[in-house]
Amino acid sequence: MTYLLITFQALVVLLSAPLVVGMVRTLKARFQNRQGPSIFLPYVSMLSLLRKEMTITKHSSWVFRMVPFVVLGSAFFLALVVPSLFFGIVPSSLDNIFLFGAVVALGSVFLVLGGMDTGSTFGNMGSSREMTLATLVEPALYVSLATLALATGAWGMGGIVGHFTSLPWLVAVPPAIVTLIGLLFVLLAENARYPVDNPATHLELTMVHEAMILEYSGTYLAMLEYASAIKLTALLAVCMGILIPFGISAPPVTFFGLGIALIAFFGKLALGAFAIAFIESVIVKMRFYRMQEYMMLAFFIALLGLAVELIVLYH
Amino acid sequence: MNIQTLLKEIGLEDVSDSGTVQVPVSDFALTAEHIVEAGSPLVLMYALDERKKSNIFSIRAVFAVGTELLTLESYLSPEKPQYPSLTRSIMAANWYERQIMDQFGIEAVGHPDPRRLMHHENVPEGTYPMRKDFEWNTKLAHAHVPYPMHQVEGEGVYEIPVGPIHAGIIEPGHFRFNVRGERIITLEGKLFFKHKGVLKLVEGKTPEEALPFVERVSGDMVVGHTLAFVQAVEKVSGVKVPLRAEYLRVIWSELERVCAHIFDIGNMGGMGTGFTFMAAQGFRMVEEMRRLNADLVGHRFLRGAITLGGAHDVTADDEVKILETIKRIEKDIGEVLKIAYAKDGLKERFETTGILGKEAALAYGAQGIGARASGIDMDLRRDMPYGAYADMDVSVMVETVGDVLARFNVRVRELTESFRLIRLAITTLPEGKATLPVPHGTGDAYGFAESWRGAVLDFVRLDAKGRIDRLVIRDPSFCNWPLFGELAPGNIVPDFPLCNKSLNLSYSGTDL
Repeated sequence: MTYLLITFQALVVLLSAPLVVGMVRTLKARFQNRQGPSIFLPYVSMLSLLRKEMTITKHSSWVFRMVPFVVLGSAFFLALVVPSLFFGIVPSSLDNIFLFGAVVALGSVFLVLGGMDTGSTFGNMGSSREMTLATLVEPALYVSLATLALATGAWGMGGIVGHFTSLPWLVAVPPAIVTLIGLLFVLLAENARYPVDNPATHLELTMVHEAMILEYSGTYLAMLEYASAIKLTALLAVCMGILIPFGISAPPVTFFGLGIALIAFFGKLALGAFAIAFIESVIVKMRFYRMQEYMMLAFFIALLGLAVELIVLYH
Repeated sequence: MNIQTLLKEIGLEDVSDSGTVQVPVSDFALTAEHIVEAGSPLVLMYALDERKKSNIFSIRAVFAVGTELLTLESYLSPEKPQYPSLTRSIMAANWYERQIMDQFGIEAVGHPDPRRLMHHENVPEGTYPMRKDFEWNTKLAHAHVPYPMHQVEGEGVYEIPVGPIHAGIIEPGHFRFNVRGERIITLEGKLFFKHKGVLKLVEGKTPEEALPFVERVSGDMVVGHTLAFVQAVEKVSGVKVPLRAEYLRVIWSELERVCAHIFDIGNMGGMGTGFTFMAAQGFRMVEEMRRLNADLVGHRFLRGAITLGGAHDVTADDEVKILETIKRIEKDIGEVLKIAYAKDGLKERFETTGILGKEAALAYGAQGIGARASGIDMDLRRDMPYGAYADMDVSVMVETVGDVLARFNVRVRELTESFRLIRLAITTLPEGKATLPVPHGTGDAYGFAESWRGAVLDFVRLDAKGRIDRLVIRDPSFCNWPLFGELAPGNIVPDFPLCNKSLNLSYSGTDL
């Protein structure tokens, strides 16, 4: 039964991932007074990419071919362990926060390798930028996760979210708000969103994530785009799951509970997509040489979050 | 200052009325240096192939002296045409001299950078397409002549080649960055991928036949280019166009300027920094303006608005349409700009990015927005007023800092002025005919117009049958492209697209 639930939960995340990207895009268009595409467009574009021929430069090695599998694999892992509908079903050895952070980093590292492998200038440029950003973002990520672990006494994602569901919202969530803001900074940076990167840009010279995957086409490109959609959805699910723990339940699961969980999950994703679209519409992309200020801010917000939790715990 | 006092000052006396001074080749560079030192900038250089008539090549440098143009000319031998390079003391001559070497094979002796400019690797040595004995339909063999680009060596330095094909829908151009980390050390452009042979093709055509070619020199600068050309032809023919046409020409010029400036404001804010709201709104307004253009003259980019001897006429209905549209657009862009100026993030990206110092702008002979944003107070509409601008007291918008923000501000302020000029031209539009026939003339003339990018300067020579013997078109972009080598170093690579958009130069207009 547990395995069935884990599979079901992962499938829901995997199937809804392109929808999140679609929602963000359409909402952004609406913020600009444009009609925007259908929110289901990413499904269509990924499927059509699957049908397209792959062009792979002969200057690439096996690394280039392996990258999409590792990146998509790491995204699958995130989809598997994130407590999006239920908690307490994934063994805590698997949804450990450090493992979680490491798997996120694994995907990034392989993207970087893929960008460098062909020896193209833009790929190398994107890889160099991604490494800079990844190094800067990591402290904020781990301090935030560690704060949550400290606050809840659990080292697994499921346990953390479970703790928030078990307490009244006013008791559990407000002290974690600062940490959640820190996590939001991390989420934007990790998913190549504003103000760190512009996922919609066509200007190669300004790209980070898009520059690394420029050489990919066809199925591999579909895999990489799908992976980044899953990553966005998974991280959004974690943040929203803590902010609004409503609907997430532990087994045994009833049909009614399942329905509530699904509705709550999609509501939270829509809310998260709205938040991202709003942020991307009202702010300007930062100058690349000010990234360290952004990351520094993220780190100090995370530290502040830790301080708040410590005060709440030990005052 | 006028030409006579300038020539007296530098010790030259013999002057004809045409504003052309002949000097021996040996004095060419020195005289040019004296003229520039006396405060009259070099604005154009070109060559003429006169081997058929008088068995010479002639090299000419044109200087802006007050409100007049002074032409300095030297005759060169047909066997081995060469002259001492001006570039050694006058930076602005650099690209002109390289272009003339490619077009005519006239060597600028002592040029510090005598590489090819217009000809790429595939053009064989000894190809001089602007010489009269070169047929326009000559098929060239495919050559592999090296086209070296500047390189920087050192630890951690690497090269980024960008283009000629870009991801956006823009013209082709290759840019070579040498960077250390993200910091740009040098930047060089390799342009001239859009050679159309316009200047060769119009030779032997009547001005009427040549006009469509001139209209297509640069897609978004139709009025600027046609205006400079027709004014030159009209000068040769001695035609004074009707007053109504002069006012109409102001309307079309300023409508083009409004379109381009709104596009650039949206493009810099929206695409350059990722503040997409501005692009969505700006492009929407540009579309409205283009539809107005199509409604008025039948072409979205105003082809056909300027004609030989006149301009496309408007009816009373059209006047109302123009006034209503610009009223709406002015209000909308005002709201967008209010939001834009309140955004610290946008200002932060614009400020200190791509600074072009005044000294550099002067040395390179920068034109238009790029020059005015760096503190150079120049605008032909006021300085050498043509047509109805003389009656309109045009305000010239000058900023001092020379960064992207300054260029943004120049556009914003010029927009307000353009709206005023359109309204003024419509309310004071004289009655009468909008066009006059232009008889065939013979002779030389310059024509110029301040397009939205900057000054367009044309030289036209009509032969005894009234056909074009030589046409020279100087797009302001030709003067501004080398500025990138000056303003990009020190910036970081991801800010380059913003620098590029802030100048928005024409690739096509440079490559004729």
